[in-house]
Parts: sequence; structure tokens; C-alpha cells
Amino acid sequence: MPEYTIATLVAVVVVVVVELRWARTGIFATAQYWLAMAIVFAFQVIVDGWLTRLPDAIVRYAPQHFLGVRFPLNIPVEDFGFGFALVTATIIAWKVAERREPVS
Amino acid sequence: MRAEYLLLLAACLVITLPLEFVLGARVYRRPRRLTLAVLPVLVVFYLWDAIAIARGHWDYHPGRTSGVILPGAMPLEELAFFIVIPLCGLLTYEAVGNVLRNSRARRTRARAVGERHA
Repeated sequence: MPEYTIATLVAVVVVVVVELRWARTGIFATAQYWLAMAIVFAFQVIVDGWLTRLPDAIVRYAPQHFLGVRFPLNIPVEDFGFGFALVTATIIAWKVAERREPVS
Repeated sequence: MRAEYLLLLAACLVITLPLEFVLGARVYRRPRRLTLAVLPVLVVFYLWDAIAIARGHWDYHPGRTSGVILPGAMPLEELAFFIVIPLCGLLTYEAVGNVLRNSRARRTRARAVGERHA
């Protein structure tokens, strides 16, 4: 399997395990999280689509390091795992940080 | 245009600004918590990105990026990306939370009013 594909899968699994085993914020059981992620993915298609648009993409992927499946637009599918991991990890950290907030 | 990637990220910040000030996300207004959420994730993804660049997974169009290169052969834009995108994600998450809470509260109120009139 190509390296970017593996890295993405590992990142997604790590984030899910961190949430379920350690952080336990409960976000996966909320409509708030899934609705927010649906909106984030819609906007990812616009931004990521811009970054990968041909000709002369801003970000250029080496063909041997990803599956070669570009969908939608010219976006490598791996990017959606990357985006999921990035945003989900941040939301988990945000919820964990909430517990440490001084009560205002 | 060399500022293109930076302008794209700036556009993300502008578009999501109403989430803070119209939908009451309160993300910018909690800077300490925001830092605690963004910084650890940024460190991990910076490392991932630096390794991916070193291994040749991807590179960046020199004519469409600023040319400012950070440690790990990383364009300035990537560091900005790891701040801007998580920030937009948090604004979305908090704004969605407020919208859901408000609509639930409205429904509860409407039901209470309905019961009183029944």
C-alpha cells in the first residue's frame, strides 16, 4: 500500500482510539460533531479542490505514494482521512481543554 | 501568484468570522483553550508533513507559494494551514452546537406554550 495511504489510515485509527480509550469526550455520539464534520468536508472540497486543481496544482502529489484515486475534483481520497484526523483531533483537544478551564 | 495559497487561507478566516460574532461560537474569545486545542495537533501534523515532504509524498508549486521555507523544508503556508483549518473546524463545531441548542430550546418553549393552551 502507498505510504500516504498508510499514514492516513494510521492517523484516522489513532484519532479514533485516542477518543475512545483516553479522551472519552463523547463527540462521536453527538449530532453536533457529525453535522460540523459534514460542513467541514463540504468546505474541504472547495479549498482542497483549489489546492489540487490542474494544471499547475499548488500541492503536487507523487503518484507512487498514494492510491491514485482522485475524487471529487482532483483531490486524492487520502486527503479526506487527513482532514478527518486533523479536525477531529482538534475538536477532541478542545473538549479536553474545556475540562481544565477555570470556571468563569 | 505567489500569495495564492496564503490568500486562500485568509479567505477561510474571513468566511468563518461570522461564526464567532453572529452565531456566538466563542472560539477566538477563549485564547487559552484555543491554544491548548490547536498547538498539540499542530506539532503532530507538522511532523507528519515534514516527514511526507522528506519522503517525497508531495511538494509545492514554487510559483504559487510565498517561497518562505520553515524547518523541515516546509512552506510557511503549511504552518498557517495547521492553524487556520483547525480554527475553522472549531468555529464550525461551536456554531453548530449553538444552532442545535437554540432550536431545541425553541421547540421546548413551543411545546410548553402548547401545553398551557391545551
